[in-house]
Amino acid sequence: MSKIWLIMLLSALTTALVRDPSVAISAMLAGAKDSVDLAMELVAVYGVWLGFFALLDKVGIADLIAKLLKPVIKFLFKGSSDEAQKYVSMNMSANLIGLGNAATPMGINAVKLLGDEKESANTNVIMLVVISATSLQLLPTTVISMRAAHGSINAADFLLPCMIATVISTIIGIALVKLLSRIFPDSKRKS
Amino acid sequence: MTAYVVPVLFLIVLIASLLKKKDAYSYFIDGSRSAIDLMVGVFPYLMTVMMCVQIFRATGVSAAVSSFIAPVFELLGLPKQLTELLLLRPLSGAGSLAILDNIYATYGADTFIGRCASLIYGSSETVFYVSAIYLSQSKTKKLRYALPVALVSTLLGCIIGCALLRVL
Repeated sequence: MSKIWLIMLLSALTTALVRDPSVAISAMLAGAKDSVDLAMELVAVYGVWLGFFALLDKVGIADLIAKLLKPVIKFLFKGSSDEAQKYVSMNMSANLIGLGNAATPMGINAVKLLGDEKESANTNVIMLVVISATSLQLLPTTVISMRAAHGSINAADFLLPCMIATVISTIIGIALVKLLSRIFPDSKRKS
Repeated sequence: MTAYVVPVLFLIVLIASLLKKKDAYSYFIDGSRSAIDLMVGVFPYLMTVMMCVQIFRATGVSAAVSSFIAPVFELLGLPKQLTELLLLRPLSGAGSLAILDNIYATYGADTFIGRCASLIYGSSETVFYVSAIYLSQSKTKKLRYALPVALVSTLLGCIIGCALLRVL
Protein backbone atom coordinates (compact mmCIF):
# COMPACT_ATOMS: atom_id res chain seq x y z
CA MET A 1 0.00 0.00 0.00
CA SER A 2 2.74 2.49 0.89
CA LYS A 3 4.38 2.08 -2.52
CA ILE A 4 1.12 2.51 -4.41
CA TRP A 5 0.34 5.57 -2.34
CA LEU A 6 3.74 7.09 -3.07
CA ILE A 7 3.54 6.42 -6.81
CA MET A 8 0.03 7.87 -7.05
CA LEU A 9 0.96 10.99 -5.12
CA LEU A 10 4.26 11.55 -6.97
CA SER A 11 2.67 11.20 -10.40
CA ALA A 12 -0.27 13.43 -9.44
CA LEU A 13 1.96 16.16 -7.98
CA THR A 14 4.32 16.11 -10.97
CA THR A 15 1.38 16.44 -13.32
CA ALA A 16 0.04 19.30 -11.23
CA LEU A 17 3.41 21.11 -11.54
CA VAL A 18 3.34 20.86 -15.32
CA ARG A 19 -0.33 21.62 -15.86
CA ASP A 20 -1.89 23.61 -13.05
CA PRO A 21 -0.08 23.82 -9.68
CA SER A 22 -3.05 25.42 -7.93
CA VAL A 23 -5.07 22.21 -8.25
CA ALA A 24 -2.73 20.41 -5.82
CA ILE A 25 -3.72 22.00 -2.54
CA SER A 26 -7.41 22.33 -3.41
CA ALA A 27 -7.67 18.66 -4.38
CA MET A 28 -5.73 17.41 -1.35
CA LEU A 29 -7.85 19.52 0.99
CA ALA A 30 -11.04 18.39 -0.71
CA GLY A 31 -10.00 14.77 -0.22
CA ALA A 32 -9.10 15.38 3.42
CA LYS A 33 -12.42 17.12 4.00
CA ASP A 34 -14.29 14.19 2.47
CA SER A 35 -12.48 11.88 4.86
CA VAL A 36 -13.55 14.00 7.84
CA ASP A 37 -17.17 13.88 6.66
CA LEU A 38 -16.92 10.13 6.18
CA ALA A 39 -15.28 9.70 9.60
CA MET A 40 -18.11 11.60 11.29
CA GLU A 41 -20.66 9.44 9.53
CA LEU A 42 -18.78 6.28 10.45
CA VAL A 43 -18.53 7.24 14.14
CA ALA A 44 -22.33 7.33 14.16
CA VAL A 45 -22.60 4.03 12.28
CA TYR A 46 -20.01 2.29 14.47
CA GLY A 47 -21.59 3.73 17.62
CA VAL A 48 -24.94 2.17 16.79
CA TRP A 49 -23.52 -1.19 15.71
CA LEU A 50 -20.95 -1.55 18.48
CA GLY A 51 -23.73 -0.84 20.95
CA PHE A 52 -25.85 -3.46 19.25
CA PHE A 53 -23.07 -6.04 19.21
CA ALA A 54 -22.19 -5.42 22.86
CA LEU A 55 -25.79 -6.23 23.64
CA LEU A 56 -25.76 -9.24 21.33
CA ASP A 57 -22.69 -10.50 23.16
CA LYS A 58 -24.08 -9.97 26.66
CA VAL A 59 -27.39 -11.76 26.04
CA GLY A 60 -25.51 -14.76 24.66
CA ILE A 61 -26.72 -14.58 21.05
CA ALA A 62 -23.17 -13.96 19.83
CA ASP A 63 -22.04 -17.28 21.32
CA LEU A 64 -25.00 -18.99 19.69
CA ILE A 65 -24.11 -17.66 16.23
CA ALA A 66 -20.47 -18.57 16.79
CA LYS A 67 -21.54 -22.11 17.64
CA LEU A 68 -23.65 -22.36 14.49
CA LEU A 69 -20.84 -21.15 12.25
CA LYS A 70 -18.18 -23.12 14.10
CA PRO A 71 -17.61 -25.86 11.46
CA VAL A 72 -17.04 -23.27 8.71
CA ILE A 73 -14.86 -21.04 10.85
CA LYS A 74 -12.79 -23.91 12.18
CA PHE A 75 -12.04 -24.96 8.62
CA LEU A 76 -11.08 -21.43 7.56
CA PHE A 77 -9.25 -20.30 10.68
CA LYS A 78 -7.18 -23.14 12.05
CA GLY A 79 -6.13 -22.89 15.66
CA SER A 80 -7.97 -19.67 16.50
CA SER A 81 -9.30 -18.97 20.00
CA ASP A 82 -13.02 -19.12 20.89
CA GLU A 83 -13.05 -15.39 21.49
CA ALA A 84 -11.57 -14.72 18.05
CA GLN A 85 -14.03 -17.13 16.43
CA LYS A 86 -16.89 -15.21 18.00
CA TYR A 87 -15.80 -11.93 16.41
CA VAL A 88 -15.13 -13.67 13.08
CA SER A 89 -18.64 -15.14 13.06
CA MET A 90 -20.13 -11.72 13.90
CA ASN A 91 -18.07 -10.16 11.12
CA MET A 92 -19.14 -12.71 8.56
CA SER A 93 -22.83 -12.70 9.44
CA ALA A 94 -22.95 -8.89 9.36
CA ASN A 95 -21.29 -8.95 5.93
CA LEU A 96 -23.69 -11.59 4.65
CA ILE A 97 -26.84 -9.68 5.57
CA GLY A 98 -25.44 -6.58 3.89
CA LEU A 99 -24.40 -4.61 6.97
CA GLY A 100 -20.85 -3.98 5.78
CA ASN A 101 -20.31 -1.01 8.08
CA ALA A 102 -21.41 -3.07 11.07
CA ALA A 103 -18.98 -5.78 10.05
CA THR A 104 -15.94 -3.49 10.14
CA PRO A 105 -15.62 -3.00 13.94
CA MET A 106 -16.07 -6.76 14.41
CA GLY A 107 -13.35 -7.41 11.83
CA ILE A 108 -10.95 -5.06 13.60
CA ASN A 109 -11.48 -6.89 16.89
CA ALA A 110 -11.14 -10.25 15.16
CA VAL A 111 -7.79 -9.28 13.59
CA LYS A 112 -6.56 -8.13 16.99
CA LEU A 113 -7.31 -11.56 18.44
CA LEU A 114 -6.26 -13.65 15.44
CA GLY A 115 -2.91 -11.89 15.09
CA ASP A 116 0.12 -12.58 17.19
CA GLU A 117 2.86 -10.26 18.41
CA LYS A 118 4.68 -10.47 15.11
CA GLU A 119 4.69 -7.73 12.52
CA SER A 120 3.80 -9.88 9.53
CA ALA A 121 0.36 -11.41 9.29
CA ASN A 122 -0.32 -15.10 10.00
CA THR A 123 -2.56 -17.19 7.77
CA ASN A 124 -5.66 -16.55 9.87
CA VAL A 125 -5.32 -12.78 9.59
CA ILE A 126 -4.70 -13.07 5.85
CA MET A 127 -7.77 -15.28 5.50
CA LEU A 128 -10.03 -12.79 7.26
CA VAL A 129 -8.71 -9.84 5.24
CA VAL A 130 -9.15 -11.75 1.96
CA ILE A 131 -12.69 -12.90 2.82
CA SER A 132 -13.72 -9.38 3.79
CA ALA A 133 -11.91 -7.72 0.88
CA THR A 134 -13.51 -10.00 -1.71
CA SER A 135 -16.88 -8.81 -0.39
CA LEU A 136 -19.40 -11.20 1.06
CA GLN A 137 -22.14 -8.68 0.51
CA LEU A 138 -25.00 -10.26 -1.39
CA LEU A 139 -27.25 -7.25 -1.85
CA PRO A 140 -25.54 -4.08 -3.15
CA THR A 141 -28.26 -1.65 -2.08
CA THR A 142 -26.27 1.49 -2.97
CA VAL A 143 -25.85 0.41 -6.59
CA ILE A 144 -29.50 -0.58 -6.98
CA SER A 145 -30.81 2.74 -5.68
CA MET A 146 -28.30 4.68 -7.78
CA ARG A 147 -29.28 2.78 -10.93
CA ALA A 148 -32.94 3.42 -10.18
CA ALA A 149 -32.18 7.12 -9.77
CA HIS A 150 -30.68 7.10 -13.27
CA GLY A 151 -33.94 5.78 -14.72
CA SER A 152 -33.18 2.08 -14.97
CA ILE A 153 -36.24 0.02 -15.89
CA ASN A 154 -35.21 -2.94 -13.77
CA ALA A 155 -32.53 -1.67 -11.40
CA ALA A 156 -31.86 -5.07 -9.84
CA ASP A 157 -31.48 -7.11 -13.05
CA PHE A 158 -27.71 -7.51 -12.63
CA LEU A 159 -28.12 -9.16 -9.23
CA LEU A 160 -27.79 -12.82 -10.19
CA PRO A 161 -24.49 -12.47 -12.11
CA CYS A 162 -23.35 -10.05 -9.39
CA MET A 163 -23.98 -12.61 -6.65
CA ILE A 164 -22.21 -15.28 -8.69
CA ALA A 165 -19.25 -12.94 -9.17
CA THR A 166 -19.13 -12.18 -5.43
CA VAL A 167 -19.29 -15.83 -4.42
CA ILE A 168 -16.73 -16.88 -7.03
CA SER A 169 -14.28 -14.18 -6.00
CA THR A 170 -14.58 -15.18 -2.34
CA ILE A 171 -14.14 -18.88 -3.15
CA ILE A 172 -11.09 -18.17 -5.34
CA GLY A 173 -9.70 -16.00 -2.54
CA ILE A 174 -10.15 -18.71 0.10
CA ALA A 175 -8.65 -21.36 -2.19
CA LEU A 176 -5.64 -19.18 -2.99
CA VAL A 177 -5.00 -18.45 0.69
CA LYS A 178 -5.25 -22.17 1.52
CA LEU A 179 -2.81 -22.92 -1.30
CA LEU A 180 -0.34 -20.13 -0.55
CA SER A 181 -0.33 -20.89 3.17
CA ARG A 182 1.13 -24.29 2.25
CA ILE A 183 3.79 -22.75 0.03
CA PHE A 184 4.66 -20.02 2.55
CA PRO A 185 3.91 -21.57 5.95
CA ASP A 186 3.66 -19.39 9.06
CA SER A 187 6.45 -21.06 10.99
CA LYS A 188 9.16 -20.43 8.46
CA ARG A 189 8.52 -16.73 8.03
CA LYS A 190 10.70 -14.04 9.49
CA SER A 191 8.88 -11.56 11.63
CA MET B 1 -37.78 -6.69 2.28
CA THR B 2 -34.30 -5.74 3.46
CA ALA B 3 -35.83 -2.82 5.35
CA TYR B 4 -37.14 -5.37 7.87
CA VAL B 5 -33.68 -6.71 8.73
CA VAL B 6 -32.56 -3.96 11.07
CA PRO B 7 -35.70 -3.44 13.18
CA VAL B 8 -36.19 -7.21 13.52
CA LEU B 9 -32.57 -7.70 14.64
CA PHE B 10 -32.81 -4.95 17.24
CA LEU B 11 -36.15 -6.25 18.53
CA ILE B 12 -34.80 -9.79 18.92
CA VAL B 13 -31.81 -8.59 20.91
CA LEU B 14 -33.84 -6.23 23.09
CA ILE B 15 -36.44 -8.87 23.88
CA ALA B 16 -33.69 -11.39 24.66
CA SER B 17 -32.12 -8.93 27.08
CA LEU B 18 -35.51 -8.40 28.74
CA LEU B 19 -36.00 -12.15 29.14
CA LYS B 20 -32.54 -12.55 30.60
CA LYS B 21 -33.06 -9.52 32.84
CA LYS B 22 -29.95 -7.74 31.52
CA ASP B 23 -29.58 -3.96 31.58
CA ALA B 24 -29.64 -3.30 27.82
CA TYR B 25 -29.15 0.46 28.25
CA SER B 26 -25.78 0.29 29.99
CA TYR B 27 -24.45 -2.46 27.70
CA PHE B 28 -25.36 -0.42 24.65
CA ILE B 29 -23.48 2.57 26.08
CA ASP B 30 -20.42 0.41 26.75
CA GLY B 31 -20.42 -0.75 23.15
CA SER B 32 -20.96 2.68 21.65
CA ARG B 33 -18.12 4.12 23.70
CA SER B 34 -15.57 2.17 21.69
CA ALA B 35 -16.72 3.85 18.44
CA ILE B 36 -14.66 6.99 19.14
CA ASP B 37 -11.48 5.02 19.97
CA LEU B 38 -12.00 2.99 16.85
CA MET B 39 -12.30 6.07 14.66
CA VAL B 40 -9.24 7.69 16.26
CA GLY B 41 -7.29 4.65 15.09
CA VAL B 42 -8.91 4.45 11.67
CA PHE B 43 -9.10 8.13 10.69
CA PRO B 44 -5.42 8.67 9.71
CA TYR B 45 -5.72 5.82 7.18
CA LEU B 46 -8.96 7.22 5.79
CA MET B 47 -7.54 10.69 5.38
CA THR B 48 -4.23 9.66 3.85
CA VAL B 49 -5.86 7.49 1.19
CA MET B 50 -8.73 9.82 0.34
CA MET B 51 -6.43 12.82 -0.03
CA CYS B 52 -4.26 10.81 -2.41
CA VAL B 53 -7.15 9.50 -4.53
CA GLN B 54 -8.65 12.98 -4.83
CA ILE B 55 -5.48 14.60 -6.23
CA PHE B 56 -4.84 11.54 -8.40
CA ARG B 57 -8.22 12.06 -10.06
CA ALA B 58 -8.22 15.88 -10.07
CA THR B 59 -4.92 16.13 -11.96
CA GLY B 60 -6.18 13.78 -14.66
CA VAL B 61 -3.49 11.16 -13.99
CA SER B 62 -6.17 8.62 -13.12
CA ALA B 63 -7.88 9.05 -16.51
CA ALA B 64 -4.54 8.95 -18.35
CA VAL B 65 -3.40 5.74 -16.66
CA SER B 66 -6.82 4.21 -17.34
CA SER B 67 -6.71 4.88 -21.07
CA PHE B 68 -3.19 3.46 -21.11
CA ILE B 69 -4.12 0.09 -19.58
CA ALA B 70 -7.65 -0.11 -21.03
CA PRO B 71 -6.60 -2.54 -23.83
CA VAL B 72 -5.56 -5.09 -21.20
CA PHE B 73 -8.98 -5.06 -19.57
CA GLU B 74 -10.70 -5.15 -22.95
CA LEU B 75 -8.77 -8.30 -23.74
CA LEU B 76 -10.24 -9.83 -20.55
CA GLY B 77 -13.79 -9.05 -21.68
CA LEU B 78 -14.29 -5.94 -19.58
CA PRO B 79 -15.53 -2.80 -21.39
CA LYS B 80 -12.69 -0.31 -21.76
CA GLN B 81 -14.92 2.55 -20.55
CA LEU B 82 -14.88 0.92 -17.11
CA THR B 83 -11.12 0.89 -16.61
CA GLU B 84 -11.05 3.86 -14.26
CA LEU B 85 -13.80 2.29 -12.16
CA LEU B 86 -11.86 -0.98 -11.93
CA LEU B 87 -8.70 0.91 -11.04
CA LEU B 88 -10.12 3.07 -8.28
CA ARG B 89 -12.69 0.66 -6.83
CA PRO B 90 -10.13 -1.05 -4.54
CA LEU B 91 -8.85 2.31 -3.29
CA SER B 92 -11.83 4.51 -2.56
CA GLY B 93 -15.53 3.81 -2.12
CA ALA B 94 -16.55 7.47 -2.48
CA GLY B 95 -14.26 8.08 -5.46
CA SER B 96 -15.45 5.03 -7.37
CA LEU B 97 -19.09 5.77 -6.56
CA ALA B 98 -18.64 9.16 -8.25
CA ILE B 99 -17.22 7.35 -11.28
CA LEU B 100 -20.16 4.92 -11.28
CA ASP B 101 -22.57 7.84 -11.25
CA ASN B 102 -20.70 9.37 -14.17
CA ILE B 103 -20.88 6.09 -16.13
CA TYR B 104 -24.66 5.88 -15.64
CA ALA B 105 -25.01 9.49 -16.80
CA THR B 106 -22.77 9.01 -19.86
CA TYR B 107 -23.68 5.54 -21.11
CA GLY B 108 -27.07 4.94 -19.45
CA ALA B 109 -27.92 2.61 -16.56
CA ASP B 110 -29.51 -0.10 -18.73
CA THR B 111 -26.78 -0.48 -21.35
CA PHE B 112 -24.27 -3.32 -21.18
CA ILE B 113 -21.67 -0.88 -19.91
CA GLY B 114 -24.05 0.38 -17.22
CA ARG B 115 -24.94 -3.14 -16.09
CA CYS B 116 -21.33 -4.21 -16.14
CA ALA B 117 -20.39 -1.19 -14.02
CA SER B 118 -23.13 -2.09 -11.52
CA LEU B 119 -21.77 -5.60 -11.27
CA ILE B 120 -18.19 -4.43 -10.78
CA TYR B 121 -19.14 -1.99 -8.05
CA GLY B 122 -21.61 -4.35 -6.39
CA SER B 123 -19.47 -7.46 -6.32
CA SER B 124 -16.26 -5.88 -5.06
CA GLU B 125 -14.94 -4.10 -2.01
CA THR B 126 -12.53 -1.26 -1.28
CA VAL B 127 -9.74 -3.81 -0.83
CA PHE B 128 -7.02 -1.41 0.32
CA TYR B 129 -9.32 0.45 2.67
CA VAL B 130 -10.65 -2.73 4.27
CA SER B 131 -7.18 -4.14 4.82
CA ALA B 132 -5.78 -0.89 6.24
CA ILE B 133 -8.73 -0.50 8.61
CA TYR B 134 -8.75 -4.11 9.78
CA LEU B 135 -5.08 -3.85 10.73
CA SER B 136 -5.36 -0.38 12.27
CA GLN B 137 -5.67 -1.60 15.88
CA SER B 138 -3.45 -4.64 15.66
CA LYS B 139 0.28 -5.27 15.99
CA THR B 140 0.24 -6.99 12.62
CA LYS B 141 1.46 -4.58 9.95
CA LYS B 142 2.59 -6.64 6.97
CA LEU B 143 -0.08 -8.48 5.03
CA ARG B 144 2.21 -10.67 2.92
CA TYR B 145 0.20 -12.16 0.05
CA ALA B 146 -3.26 -11.00 1.23
CA LEU B 147 -3.61 -7.99 -1.08
CA PRO B 148 -2.55 -9.66 -4.36
CA VAL B 149 -4.87 -12.59 -3.57
CA ALA B 150 -7.81 -10.28 -2.82
CA LEU B 151 -7.23 -8.20 -5.96
CA VAL B 152 -6.80 -11.18 -8.28
CA SER B 153 -9.90 -12.93 -6.89
CA THR B 154 -11.97 -9.77 -7.25
CA LEU B 155 -10.81 -9.24 -10.82
CA LEU B 156 -11.57 -12.86 -11.73
CA GLY B 157 -15.03 -12.49 -10.17
CA CYS B 158 -15.66 -9.36 -12.26
CA ILE B 159 -14.48 -11.03 -15.48
CA ILE B 160 -16.75 -14.03 -14.92
CA GLY B 161 -19.64 -11.79 -13.84
CA CYS B 162 -19.37 -9.58 -16.93
CA ALA B 163 -19.19 -12.67 -19.15
CA LEU B 164 -22.40 -13.92 -17.50
CA LEU B 165 -24.06 -10.55 -18.10
CA ARG B 166 -23.69 -11.10 -21.85
CA VAL B 167 -25.82 -14.25 -21.68
CA LEU B 168 -28.19 -13.61 -18.76
